[in-house]
Amino acid sequence: MQEIGDVSDAQLVTSVARYSEVALAEVYRRHGGAVYGLARRLLNSTAEAEDVTQEVFLRLWNSPDRFDPTRGTLRSFLLAQSHARAVDAIRSLNSRRLREAKDARRTANAEYDMQHEVWDLSLAEKVSEALGTLPVEERRAIELAYFEGRTYVEVAELLDQPEGTIKSRIRNGMRRMRAVLVEAGIQGVDA
Amino acid sequence: MMTHDEVSELLGAFALDAVSHDEYELIEAHLAECPRCRAEVDAHREVAAALGNSVEPLPEGLWSSIASRLPPRQDEEPPPMPLLVRDGVTEDVAPVPVFQAPAASRPSLARARRSVRTRLGAVASIAVAAAAVSIVLGVNLVHDDHQISQLQDALGTSAHTAVVAALHTQGSKVVHVESPSHHELAEFVVVPDGQGYLVKSSLPSLASNQTYQLWGVYGRRSISLGLLGRSPNQATFTSAGPKTPKALVITAEPAGGSVTPTGAMLGTGTV
Repeated sequence: MQEIGDVSDAQLVTSVARYSEVALAEVYRRHGGAVYGLARRLLNSTAEAEDVTQEVFLRLWNSPDRFDPTRGTLRSFLLAQSHARAVDAIRSLNSRRLREAKDARRTANAEYDMQHEVWDLSLAEKVSEALGTLPVEERRAIELAYFEGRTYVEVAELLDQPEGTIKSRIRNGMRRMRAVLVEAGIQGVDA
Repeated sequence: MMTHDEVSELLGAFALDAVSHDEYELIEAHLAECPRCRAEVDAHREVAAALGNSVEPLPEGLWSSIASRLPPRQDEEPPPMPLLVRDGVTEDVAPVPVFQAPAASRPSLARARRSVRTRLGAVASIAVAAAAVSIVLGVNLVHDDHQISQLQDALGTSAHTAVVAALHTQGSKVVHVESPSHHELAEFVVVPDGQGYLVKSSLPSLASNQTYQLWGVYGRRSISLGLLGRSPNQATFTSAGPKTPKALVITAEPAGGSVTPTGAMLGTGTV
């Protein structure tokens, strides 16, 4: 007998679209840790990370059609959702205050965090290698944008660079990383 | 309004949620019409997901909290599985792919089906929900010209053109689904490309809170091929995967269908 644990992510989302709570629970079991982990990393708050995680899964329940399996894996989709919600929270006034109080320490640790907290099994090593190939200025721009929730305008101010330069660094860095990851055989992030 | 080049420069930042709200809206609008930029964003997001893929133990009670916030559904009409059932039998029947809504709907169901179509919209390309059970099959394969002729006579000429066409298709198979006591419950025709049609049914009407569900048996797996409704009349389905199922199985399930068979196995038939 096949268990629900053997059902593909795409099939689970189809079942979620049919209001299967069991299917949603299985999606949560597979990807909840990643969704929560990313939110907690950005927000540095378990309570806020729990709020984000709840919101991500409730959105999947209410709008499963937003997931398009032709555009990426379910894990990637959920992480994008988690990141966007976390960034929204960071940019809210209360989270801004909280973040500013922790800015110095987090900024100082950003490089360490990037290399050592992205640990998901063998992927972590590949990601670390890909990061290592980036010029430091591209890497720094991506760090501040992704893990600090900064806009590219803010990154430009922080690094005292023209906005156009930061836009290019982020885009080129992302392209470079993708090329390295693809070469390493990583096409997408899955459970 | 932003030009394509302006948007392109921002795609990396966009994928990292590092643009302003106004820019976000403009880029989203551009992406809706630019597959090239959409593909680039998808690629960036996969990289971002790799960066952010840091799994942590989930807090105790978080799932319970989520589950308690799921909107109640007891007042809603059943959110169905693939819409196999056509309403009305007097019009010609055209093949309706799995997940595609019927051309005509009863007014009372129209709103619910619009809602379901919306939910299923982008996931329509996903394979039919898989289920898993081991089923011991009682089978009865029927495939001969005489029987096809009888079926055609029974169908008449003014309707069911798709079914008749399927019956004429080279290599098509007619499947009798029978109860364990060898009582005929329904007949299907399956053409070689996996498309199948309900030819006729003698299944009795179920209560309003139940539906018949059709399953395809692939090896040891049973995969839902869709709902037949509480009083099956017309239906069409596409078998999931590259192969046609070994057998068809009908169960009675709660309205809205099930991910895995939960009701009694009412009948089976080999393909």
